[in-house]
Amino acid sequence: MPYLAVSLANTEANLTGNWRSVRPVYKNKVPPCKNACPAGEDIPLYLALISKKRFKEAWKRIIESNPFPGVCGRVCYHPCERECLRGKFDKEISIHSIERLAADYAHSHSRKDNKKRQRKGQGKKGKKVAIIGAGPAGLTCAYFLSKMGYRVIIFEASSATGGMLRQGIPEYRLPKKILDKEIEYILDLGIKVKNNTRIGTDIDIEDIRRNYNAIFIATGAHKNRKLLIPGEDNSHRIIPGLDFLKGQNSGHNKETGERVAIIGGGNTAIDIARSVLRQGTKPMLIYRRSREEMPAIEEEIHQAENEGIIFHYLTSPTDIIMDEEGKKINLGCIRMKQGEPDKTGRRAPAAIKGSNFIIEADSMISAIGEDPDLSFLPADIKTNKMGILIDANNATTLEGVFAGGDAAGEPRSVISAIGSGKRGAYSIDRYLKGVKSEEISKPSIVQYEDLNLDYFEKGKWNEPLKLSVEDRINDYKEVNKGFSAEMGITEASRCFSCGICNMCDNCLIFCPDITVVRKKKGYEINYDYCKGCLICVEECPRSAMTSIEEIK
Amino acid sequence: MENHIRSGEGALSHGYTSCAGCGAALAMRYTLEVLGKETIVVIAAGCWSVIAGPFPYSALNIPVFHTAFETAASVAAGVKAGLMKQGDTNTHVLAWAGDGGTFDIGMQALSGVVERNEDIIYVCYDNEAYMNTGIQRSSSTPWGAWTTTTPGDCTKARPKKNMVEILAAHRIPYAATASIAYPHDLMEKVRKAKEKNGTRFIHIFTPCPAGWKSHPEHTIRLARLGVETRIFPLYEVEGGIIYRINRIPKGIPVIEYLKLQGRFRHLLERDVEYIQRNVDAEWERLQEKVRE
Amino acid sequence: MKKVLMGNHAVAYGVLLARVGVISAYPITPQTTIVEKLSDLCARGELNAKLIDVESEHSAMAGCIGASAAGVRTFTATSSQGLALMHELLHWAAGARLPIVMANVNRAMGPPWNIWTDQNDSLSQRDTGWMQFYCESNQEVLDTVIQAFKISEKVLLPSMILLDGFFLSHTSEPVDIPDQEKVDSYLPEYKPKYKLDVKFPLSFGNLTDENYYYELRYKMQEAMEKAKNIATEVDAEFLSTFGRSYGIVESYRCDNADLITVTSGTISSTTRVVIDKLRDKGKKIGMLKIKMFRPFPVEDVRMALENAKKVAVIDRNISFGNGGIFCQEVKSAMYNTGNHIPVFGYIAGLGGRDVTPMVIEDIIDFTMRHDRPGDDIHWVGLKI
Repeated sequence: MPYLAVSLANTEANLTGNWRSVRPVYKNKVPPCKNACPAGEDIPLYLALISKKRFKEAWKRIIESNPFPGVCGRVCYHPCERECLRGKFDKEISIHSIERLAADYAHSHSRKDNKKRQRKGQGKKGKKVAIIGAGPAGLTCAYFLSKMGYRVIIFEASSATGGMLRQGIPEYRLPKKILDKEIEYILDLGIKVKNNTRIGTDIDIEDIRRNYNAIFIATGAHKNRKLLIPGEDNSHRIIPGLDFLKGQNSGHNKETGERVAIIGGGNTAIDIARSVLRQGTKPMLIYRRSREEMPAIEEEIHQAENEGIIFHYLTSPTDIIMDEEGKKINLGCIRMKQGEPDKTGRRAPAAIKGSNFIIEADSMISAIGEDPDLSFLPADIKTNKMGILIDANNATTLEGVFAGGDAAGEPRSVISAIGSGKRGAYSIDRYLKGVKSEEISKPSIVQYEDLNLDYFEKGKWNEPLKLSVEDRINDYKEVNKGFSAEMGITEASRCFSCGICNMCDNCLIFCPDITVVRKKKGYEINYDYCKGCLICVEECPRSAMTSIEEIK
Repeated sequence: MENHIRSGEGALSHGYTSCAGCGAALAMRYTLEVLGKETIVVIAAGCWSVIAGPFPYSALNIPVFHTAFETAASVAAGVKAGLMKQGDTNTHVLAWAGDGGTFDIGMQALSGVVERNEDIIYVCYDNEAYMNTGIQRSSSTPWGAWTTTTPGDCTKARPKKNMVEILAAHRIPYAATASIAYPHDLMEKVRKAKEKNGTRFIHIFTPCPAGWKSHPEHTIRLARLGVETRIFPLYEVEGGIIYRINRIPKGIPVIEYLKLQGRFRHLLERDVEYIQRNVDAEWERLQEKVRE
Repeated sequence: MKKVLMGNHAVAYGVLLARVGVISAYPITPQTTIVEKLSDLCARGELNAKLIDVESEHSAMAGCIGASAAGVRTFTATSSQGLALMHELLHWAAGARLPIVMANVNRAMGPPWNIWTDQNDSLSQRDTGWMQFYCESNQEVLDTVIQAFKISEKVLLPSMILLDGFFLSHTSEPVDIPDQEKVDSYLPEYKPKYKLDVKFPLSFGNLTDENYYYELRYKMQEAMEKAKNIATEVDAEFLSTFGRSYGIVESYRCDNADLITVTSGTISSTTRVVIDKLRDKGKKIGMLKIKMFRPFPVEDVRMALENAKKVAVIDRNISFGNGGIFCQEVKSAMYNTGNHIPVFGYIAGLGGRDVTPMVIEDIIDFTMRHDRPGDDIHWVGLKI
């Protein structure tokens, strides 16, 4: 023993971790945007890459969960943005514009040698999967299965690929060259497409079952719903909505005359209205509920309004009377009022007695929805009102047959179809491997209260660019221009990165006990000395640290 | 946030005995991160007398002299003189004391050291009361705060002493306030201090969960709110004359800061208003000094 | 080289010769001329020391503690109230085992204000772990400064050199100032085993619990015990180097003495005169001068007093509620010998009152006339 109190060792023998009753755990959580995305895109991750100008990497990150970033960056109704927690702070991130930027950058900087590399892996597993329908659900399913190593063939009734993306969405919203690029990228994996092959007509489903290990049905919804009012079938001037769009997208515009009445409130109705406007006509949109209840994307409604389309809200058609020459339509209408909310909380419209009036038009296009045509299905694949009956794994009632997209009653959106196709691919993979689907525990989704907002400044945001009304209504040039690279970078930098650690070091910096250690990917906590103060949990701006009770 | 802070393995060893969520531990960590191992630290009686570890252990991997309550400055001056006598002009001598050791019992010795312009860096880690002895009021305790010696209805009736002002009046070469919630500002100030000669004083705001009756995880939040409410603005004074505010506070209402602390739980609305008025007035005075 | 020096300057020359590195001091009457002389020596470049003009004695000792911990030879000087203000840090310096040397000019404690000599200031610091050396002459003062550094640096305890206010501090006497080279060889450079050193970082004075504190205190006592022999050796070496010696105690004409007076400080000089006079008259009276009060030289005191029939202790101090402090110490030293010589305790000279030869003769006379002390304390010349 020394003669005075002088240190002989450091304090590391004193394991202060023993004091702890709670412990911080370094664990990424699910950001609400990702949770809202049917395709499960890792949004904060690619936003982070964009903010660092790593566009190509961002794109690669996106296509790990969605092969259609160029499409979705344009036409997705972006449920992610609705959930974006930045929206509660100042303004949600324009995620779709950044997604679009990443895709457009990647497409304009693609290298051809990708093809060979991609094809090499094709068919490694030796098992074959047939996909029926080359729409977004079918193509996505094919994409993931092919990447997993299955041999995939797509049977497509029409002469083109893309399904509703090609047939149902006008050029000014989704340029065909973008769609072509992304489909090309998918098919370059080595996927074969048999066009003009309609199931039940050109090929029998039982034959497919015999020759393939699994089937994914994604035939979409192409049957126009009828108005079910008198006079509906009386004239070629009364056009089913989907027929109109298909015609237009294949270069065969239908003759509409000058005054066009469009019935419906969804994206299809708006697409039609804006398309006919571009043909030099005067479209009127008739919708039986109020503007607030329109299912179409708000931005689309807004643009349509700006373009001068006339909206008749709370108006419902009652009957159609053609003039004697068969050229003019007298569309009988009635005013509606908002009734009591129904089971879903949506207010059912009710007619106001005696409020009948007539709208004169040269043609009428109905766009009140489409239903799947499932007449080709064998009896042992059961269906319901929505479409093919599937379980949570997209399996139908027939062994080895899966279904997805509009045909299987999934929500009618591009991203839902993509998510459905992706889910189908993983289910088929598990089925072919004989693996049961895992119970997925409920993900821990970041809440607004979990964030430490002190680390964020309210600030400016970018509005995506678009053509002026004058510049856009005379042809089918793409209306939305998205972000410039610079805008995209600044916008991506606004991301809170909810639940996703971006190595900001706060946990390390503020640990009073120096127990947080930075690793190449993420952090480690030295529990020998961590006293459980939870400053790291509190000071993580994005809730990538969680506290749990210590088990004694 | 650009990060210069290492994951340990520096001047501090693990196993030191600060309470969970201790602000004073962080103050030492950030300070030594800048000063490095060419530093001798003189620690006056206070929390750090305990935190540094019991004999025969030391958490500090630099030379340490534990000293009596009021002598951080004077002993440090002696150490510096001893080093100078031996021709050592490189080693930094750091005097380390709490608010009690600085504002109260050690103020005379500090005043002497500053007046003589002894070549030391003095850091006051301010947790606004005698925490190591069990939360007794000091002259750094703010108005209205509960402590064990300002209990019940007799909470502190006088405002916190303004230490930087006192030292500025000595024309000290460098004095600055810092908060553990802004480690890079804090470390920049230590770096500035390191590069200057004469007495340098850094007043670090270090919340204390035990004494403030706050949650340990709120330590940084409180250190941040102290700044952003203007209760503890971040500024520096060169030569006792040139004032510079280093961060424009957001001007968050003081209630946001007060409500997280049990020591202010008893305050009435009018008390909070009184505190707000005083904070606003002090902030105005500080800004006038900057304008001068 | 001989010079006529007042006691305070003798201190300063001792410090100069000891090549002290850091001086941290604060002025107080009657110590001031020590600090002034040292400032002068530094200003003229004769003494290459860092001088810290602190704002209080408390900081003076703090400065010494810091400098000493940094590994340099350190000195301060004070008196009375100043020493009392240092009290806390006297413990700190000793507990930190720092070989600081201080000169304390003995002065009475207030109130009422009194600037003249008595020993209550230094004896109040008896239990702080400092060695104490009471000096009788300016030569002894200078020599003891040099010796004290040597003793302190060997045992690692601080030393206090005591000189009576005015009677020594401001009284000029011829003093031999030793050659610097000789002092350098006698007192080599201070090289501590432990110091504050960034190349070998150590922590001093950490919180120490009962498992270790007790032993650390034992080691302090052990060092104190050792100091008695070391002081004797250091003094012997001083004799062989410089031709002067003082002993830790000094027996003066104690052969066959029936009565031995016990003294310290300048009262010793006066007593010597009285002893010489009484011896000439054939009276068997001697004197024991106690120089080293801490550690108390128990064995030397016992040996010096073992053959006396009576002992008279003259204390220029008082422990209120008991008596003279030297007297208590002498009595307690004798107790376990079983040789219970009557010990008479006299309080004299407080607040600088002159202790004249006549006062000492009265003390001796009283002691001779009584078989037993009667009262434990005897006040000499009390004017009540």
